[in-house]
Amino acid sequence: MTREFAIVWAHRDRLLEGLANTIWLCVLATILALVIAGPITVALMSANRPLRAVARGFVDAMRCVPFLLLAYIVYYGLPSLGIRFNNWSAGLCALVTYNAAYMAEILRGAWASLPREHVDAGHAFGFSGARLYWRIILPPVVMACVPVIGNQMIQIIKDSAFLTIIAVPELTHEASAIQSMYYVPFAAFVAAVALYWLLCRIVETLVAAVERRAEATR
Amino acid sequence: MRAYDYISLLQGAAVTVSLSLIGIALGVPIGLMLALVRWSGVPVLGRAVAAYVSVLRATPLVTLALLVFFALPNIGVPIDPVPAAIASLAMNTAAFNCEIWRAALTDFPRTQLDAATAAGMTTGLAFRRIVFPQIWRISLPGLVNEMTLLIKSSPAIAVVGIVDITRAAVRIGAQTYEPLPPFLAATVLYFMVVLGFVRVQRAIESHMDRKFGFA
Amino acid sequence: MASAAATRTSEPAAAAAERPVLEVQGVWKKFGEHDVLIDVSLSVRKGQTICILGPSGSGKSTLLRCLNWLERPDHGHIFLSGQRIGYRAGSELPMTPAELAPIRARIGMVFQHFNLWPHLTVMGNLIEAPIWVQSRPRGEVVAEAEVLLDKIGLREKADVYPARLSGGQKQRVAIARALAMRPAVLLFDEATSALDPELVGEVLAVMEDLAKAGMTMVVVTHEMSFAQDAADEIVFLDHGRVVEVASPEKFFREPDTERARQFLQRYGATTRRAFRDGA
Repeated sequence: MTREFAIVWAHRDRLLEGLANTIWLCVLATILALVIAGPITVALMSANRPLRAVARGFVDAMRCVPFLLLAYIVYYGLPSLGIRFNNWSAGLCALVTYNAAYMAEILRGAWASLPREHVDAGHAFGFSGARLYWRIILPPVVMACVPVIGNQMIQIIKDSAFLTIIAVPELTHEASAIQSMYYVPFAAFVAAVALYWLLCRIVETLVAAVERRAEATR
Repeated sequence: MRAYDYISLLQGAAVTVSLSLIGIALGVPIGLMLALVRWSGVPVLGRAVAAYVSVLRATPLVTLALLVFFALPNIGVPIDPVPAAIASLAMNTAAFNCEIWRAALTDFPRTQLDAATAAGMTTGLAFRRIVFPQIWRISLPGLVNEMTLLIKSSPAIAVVGIVDITRAAVRIGAQTYEPLPPFLAATVLYFMVVLGFVRVQRAIESHMDRKFGFA
Repeated sequence: MASAAATRTSEPAAAAAERPVLEVQGVWKKFGEHDVLIDVSLSVRKGQTICILGPSGSGKSTLLRCLNWLERPDHGHIFLSGQRIGYRAGSELPMTPAELAPIRARIGMVFQHFNLWPHLTVMGNLIEAPIWVQSRPRGEVVAEAEVLLDKIGLREKADVYPARLSGGQKQRVAIARALAMRPAVLLFDEATSALDPELVGEVLAVMEDLAKAGMTMVVVTHEMSFAQDAADEIVFLDHGRVVEVASPEKFFREPDTERARQFLQRYGATTRRAFRDGA
């Protein structure tokens, strides 16, 4: 057993590279998903019925589809429509699209529970349109969402492991490579699990820190 | 897509649904037992359960399946793909269910337990007759939500060689050089399965609402 | 169509010559099947403090919220310094929120539940709209905000978040926030109704100072003492209609209409006695 872990330790570079790829992939996906979720949430709350229906359809579709299937559709399916991604971009694209829907729903929930008076005051002072969203609506919405967004980020980290199936060199893929080359499955995957656990703890700590800062306003 | 392909997809669906159901059937009660261990405050075991839940909730299903399938034979426990898949599904969902049950348990008013104790009930009896009938109803939405999440992460079991809906769709696409139709058919199948679960949940909730006045 | 008896006292001749800051003409509003405002007309001149009084459900708040188009009247017109609110000039097309914004910027509003923005400090609340809606330079806005905070006695709370303030402090900040926009008229929607009794006084004091300093104000309130001391004119609303318009002296001592008398019996008996005795 210790021999196994020693072998994994000897090849830790590869494992850490996989970890770095996972982190990079997930951070990028979280940020892009949040950015794209913004307009989707606006559409979900819009008075324009067709727009709302399209946004709602997108969000519900993403919540019904398994993430791996979406990744396959992006990587293998789109080429038959002429859109070709390499596996990295396909993985990132799938992660972003999938989670943009979830983030949009999260933001929408927080927006819908904003007290009406808060927005009334914004209107009464002459805020409208983009300025109203950016300065009056978005800040308290995002603050309220921090823990749920943190949870979603953990979900992104776990979903990224699916991408090993399309050969993206993230953590699980590298652990798998090490175990098949040196016959150290237990140590390799235990190490991977430990690293995933560490990542999640880091996210949880960050969320707690942001929550503490937000306490000042509550 | 030929008729043969549709049948492959349906076979994959059968695999997905049956393995998921077994995973759920194991994971829900195991989750409850884990939650009870933590709720009753057993010293060492409680911490062990907390650690287990923390790790399992942070581990991707793919990595867990690989760990179970490849690592167990290595330490002397031979295992086939299907049991490995079931084990990882069950372990994963049990951890999430533990938290769902625990939320209902910690919110459960202690005053009702006091009344049960005062009436002479043992803890076991009080749990069976007073606590459980209420908390399963409260936990139901969370549990069903977790079931749908399980089904959506079930494609992970393809890494141990099992042909579920997703893998069947990929195979068909590779053979026919037309990947989109089977993928879309697979999407429809998953959608139907998830919808089925949600419908059942809504039916149970409205039945309880009518009968008890709360859901 | 005869509206309910609306008696007017005679106005000083000089003031009558000036164009009103706010003019309401024949406003009607329904909520579902229920008529909330029925043929309401009213006129606010510069420097006047108008108190709108009436029993609960008389439509006072709805009327106030129509003035800055937070509620849309079904019929009638509302003018701010001669400009029609809510519809583009010379047409029946409704204004977009962006077109309403500069009008709303000239009408200040103080809400019953303060409605301070929780993600901003006290100073942040005061400078937010002047900077982002009126596009005024930050330095000027901050300087003015500091003066306002001094006036309401909360300068040392400038960097505090609203969650840490008492109700009376929050409402004073809300008033300062409205003043920071340099409004032509200030609307008060039951500004003290949500406050604990011992905090009401500090807010009323600020409102009275504003009235004395010549601010144009429309105040919906239950505080009869404020109405008697600070108002120039009382508008009495009942079941959606303007029933009586009078000076405070007349209204509280010898109202013309029966409904006003009944209202005062329920709410103002003690004050009427005080008036009679003190007169």
